[in-house]
Amino acid sequence: MLDLLLRFQAMDRRWVFLGMAISIVVPMLLPFNLPFKVDGRVQDLYDRVEALEAGDAVYISADFDPGSRPELEPFFRTHLHHLFRKDVRVVMGTLWPTAPPLVKPILEEIAGEYDKEYGRDWTFLGYIDGRELAIKSLGQSVRKTYPLDDRGNKTADLPVMLGLDAIRDFDILTSVSAGFPGTQAYVLQIQGQYNLEMASACTAVSAPDYIPYYQSGQLFGLSGGMPGSAQYEKLVYADTPEENRPRLAATSGMNVLSVGHMYIIVLLFLGNLAFFLTRGGKED
Amino acid sequence: MKRTLPILITFVIGVIMVGEFFIPHWRYRALTGELLEWGIILTAGAFILGLVNLIQVHLPTVVERGTDWGYKAVLLVSLAVTLAMGFSNGKQRLDSGMEVSFSYKWIFDYVYVPLSATMFALLAFYIASAGFRAFRARNAEATLLLVAAALVMFASVPIGEGVPVIGEYLVALKDWTLDVPNNAARRAIFIGAALGAISTGLRVILGLERSHLGGD
Repeated sequence: MLDLLLRFQAMDRRWVFLGMAISIVVPMLLPFNLPFKVDGRVQDLYDRVEALEAGDAVYISADFDPGSRPELEPFFRTHLHHLFRKDVRVVMGTLWPTAPPLVKPILEEIAGEYDKEYGRDWTFLGYIDGRELAIKSLGQSVRKTYPLDDRGNKTADLPVMLGLDAIRDFDILTSVSAGFPGTQAYVLQIQGQYNLEMASACTAVSAPDYIPYYQSGQLFGLSGGMPGSAQYEKLVYADTPEENRPRLAATSGMNVLSVGHMYIIVLLFLGNLAFFLTRGGKED
Repeated sequence: MKRTLPILITFVIGVIMVGEFFIPHWRYRALTGELLEWGIILTAGAFILGLVNLIQVHLPTVVERGTDWGYKAVLLVSLAVTLAMGFSNGKQRLDSGMEVSFSYKWIFDYVYVPLSATMFALLAFYIASAGFRAFRARNAEATLLLVAAALVMFASVPIGEGVPVIGEYLVALKDWTLDVPNNAARRAIFIGAALGAISTGLRVILGLERSHLGGD
């Protein structure tokens, strides 16, 4: 047994990589559905969006890149479905230069599904540089920060912007954030100053950082990583018949996450067992 | 003058921007809005400086066939190609509703997206390997970290949540870990960092901190 553990401890790391690959690929090929509960933070986010009325306006700051796509795109898609279903006006911009080719086609696709008209029901303002300065400027005036939208129209002339200028004119600000600049910069720069109603969808690794903002009421809702996205999908599509649902990427990803997490936990356990049995748990 | 003028500009701009929190008048906001716009333009201009810097740092190594010159050559060629594709059809893009050009979109979809996703995905493999080889309960602190990490990982996914009898308690314990000890520590860090930022900000505005001006 001891010999086996010693050999196990000295195992080539490529075997660990192979095990991880199998843990990811097998649940994809052989999908199974495990039930999961909805976290209070995601429920609050959903409830606030549900309380919006037709004609209300939401500003989405889509600040993510291809690396964080699996975690955040499912939330982003579901959020757009949720908002357009409620006939809410959607204005979107981004602080990440790599985001527009990623987020713009999704916005166009989902707006098209609901027959929403560009400029009247939704608009994409594009990318703005300046990080915190841009956020600060959005707090004062969206129209001045983005004089033109992504299609070259004057932002102030768009019907969707009627009655909207400063970010506090929007009913909700949603930050879909994979890091900096993102949720934290919004909270620090303008949420407190203008007392904005703000929600965040962030990567799983950032979620513990933002929980204090949720607890203090600075964020009314928080969706963390793929589990948060899956929970949001569950709420938004609860009443939608299965045949009418789009592919729920985060929900199906939960299987992969389950097996992947289990694999790492088993490795941690075996690694520590080997460590204790071979060294008696004594510190180096 | 070389140091006095920047300190004076920093002081005036800093005081004006801080004043925005206390003077909610539209004229004052128009002034700070203008300053913010200048700031945004300046940061956008930094892209050009970055471009020049990148070429200055890497081009000599490529020319002299220095260490890792091949990688640097790939970097510079990628930079040149992406830049050229970005600039090409610029007018056409604007006229046609700002659709990105085919070649630029191709680079993004078939080069940048797979590379970026691959880099991020590799983390899973390295975390598994590092967890197995290095994450040991060597002392009380490491044991606490190990138990907390395993608990949060296990209870955050359906397989942990669904464990008969104890699944519910594991989730409650995970939530408590995140909501109480995690928050307490993070709040302490946030407040400490905020106080530090305020004090550094004041020092910069008052000209006591001059390291950002560089050495003579």
